[in-house]
Amino acid sequence: MTRQDPIKHFFIWPALLIVLAISIFPLIYSLTTSFMSLRLVPPVPPRFVGFGNYTELLQNPRFWHVTWTTTIIAVTSVTLQYVIGFSVALALNRRVPGEGLFRVSFLLPMLVAPVAVALIARQLLNPTMGPLNEVMTFFGFPNLPFLTQTSWAIGAIIAVEVWQWTPFVILMLLAGLQTLPDDVYEAAALENASPWQQFRGITFPMMLPISAAVVFIRLIESYKIIDTVFVMTGGGPGISTETLTLFAYQEGFKKFNLGYTSALSFLFLLVITVIGLVYLAVLKPYLEKHR
Amino acid sequence: MSIRDLKGPSRWWALAGCLIWLAFTLFPLYWAVITSFKSPLGVVGGPTYIPFVDFEPSLTAWSELLSGARGQFYATFIASTIIGISASLLATFIGAMAAYALVRFTFEVKLLSAVIFVFVAFGGFLLGRHVLGLGQAISLIYAFVAALALAIGSSRIRLPGPVLGNDDIVFWFVSQRMFPPIVTAFALYLMYTEMGKMGFKLVDTYTGLTFAYVAFSLPIVIWLMRDFFAALPVEVEEAAMVDNVPTWRIFFGIVLPMSKPGLIATFMITLAFVWNEFLFALFLTNSKWQTLPILVAGQNSQRGDEWWAISAAALVAIIPMVVMAGILSRLMRSGLLLGAIK
Repeated sequence: MTRQDPIKHFFIWPALLIVLAISIFPLIYSLTTSFMSLRLVPPVPPRFVGFGNYTELLQNPRFWHVTWTTTIIAVTSVTLQYVIGFSVALALNRRVPGEGLFRVSFLLPMLVAPVAVALIARQLLNPTMGPLNEVMTFFGFPNLPFLTQTSWAIGAIIAVEVWQWTPFVILMLLAGLQTLPDDVYEAAALENASPWQQFRGITFPMMLPISAAVVFIRLIESYKIIDTVFVMTGGGPGISTETLTLFAYQEGFKKFNLGYTSALSFLFLLVITVIGLVYLAVLKPYLEKHR
Repeated sequence: MSIRDLKGPSRWWALAGCLIWLAFTLFPLYWAVITSFKSPLGVVGGPTYIPFVDFEPSLTAWSELLSGARGQFYATFIASTIIGISASLLATFIGAMAAYALVRFTFEVKLLSAVIFVFVAFGGFLLGRHVLGLGQAISLIYAFVAALALAIGSSRIRLPGPVLGNDDIVFWFVSQRMFPPIVTAFALYLMYTEMGKMGFKLVDTYTGLTFAYVAFSLPIVIWLMRDFFAALPVEVEEAAMVDNVPTWRIFFGIVLPMSKPGLIATFMITLAFVWNEFLFALFLTNSKWQTLPILVAGQNSQRGDEWWAISAAALVAIIPMVVMAGILSRLMRSGLLLGAIK
């Protein structure tokens, strides 16, 4: 298939150089920084501290708290996105009436800037001027402090994540559903298989590989969440909704504690890698079974 | 009517579900639009829902925004547009070249060469910084050049160990996307600052941010374009090769024009990512080349509860991408993106 030709270097080197210089090299730089004690404010001469930053971080309860918050947000929102996204994709694939209109409008949220979404969410959830609390009052519920009480604030962030990224799940799963062959379903209909049996026996297993990929992408992306939280709660109340990226930003950009922040971002990288590997390991037997 | 169509009551249940989701999807956007047309008094007085019925629309927010009374919206919008378009164009072009090379040519990189690169870069930087007492930026540049030269040199000689093929290189490119961007963004900020001390100003410049975005977008471009090129019929190129057309002319004259739809879709997806990107812009800009997401996020703390102005500002960031969504969904209908996800 592929062939040898010296011109290949001309084609690949621009991309390779940019990625090496702008993605890989900073990684090396910040890995070296993470083993040093380096501060800009107040300026301290760099000193080699080995794993000092890492042990300090692992003993910091704030790190564990932040990791836990991020995990709750990521896992809950991705689960909801997958369940809702799969249902909507199934409906669209089955040509629900008005499918054309739904297709276009369902994709919209994905392209909206997360900061803009967060600002709109702040308005909707505003205790005095927002519509949501007025509706709650109308139905006799108490006015809720959506963004200033921990559990509600996390719920609000999850809702915004679901609003924004379910379209991605719909898009991917719909594309997958459209490649499934018709004849399997015809055979199943002849056997009088109920819709639920068809889903459990045919659709879900056949969609497993693409589902695994979609959930994987979303999970990894969700762990990186910062902009929504930055605007909606700023990590508050206190640090109760702070996520990993926001924590790193606060340490690095507010305190200019460079060594510590680099160590934090590498721990973050480690957390994501471990999650990715565990996820793949858990899923592997299922994927192979249905191959 | 195909076997897959819904029949009977389940059809209506599905419709009801979709309508609920539609309301959930569209209501926030509708709310932003109507709020941007409310007068300051109309916002503070409590929620109102339908223009002309329970509130009188006013153009206050928009006229303030467009007259520039509310900060430098024009400058930011233009900066965002320039950076977005040029970074996406560059990333699509460079990424398409790399993707084409990875589909059509054989690459073999020894694992050992890659290991040499990392070690020399790592060690060279530490050596220059701490033993030779060079500046951070100088040692970075030296270490980078030395690592690259040694890695290329070592790939020429016979080395033991596993050989990485095209698929491994693609995986390596795509896996860049998995990294938390904070790792790169923060280190890049430090590196840019060091470069700034040497006279190359990169923080808050066009070059600095654009290159960061190109690197950030390349993985997704390579991923999308590789599937696209792989689906192109190779016979056309073989026929051209028989006629001794040089490879670069095959690429620019035949392959690129044939893959125009794929290039357009990739360009637009990249543009959407860059346009909405927050973290890199937060670290790498502060005033002149600030992008829209940063300005919009800042509205929150500066304006408090001036929701009419905030809504208008948010809409300025949203509308260009909504227009693009319309174009993109048209392309999707033609099945263009189907191949990209397999």
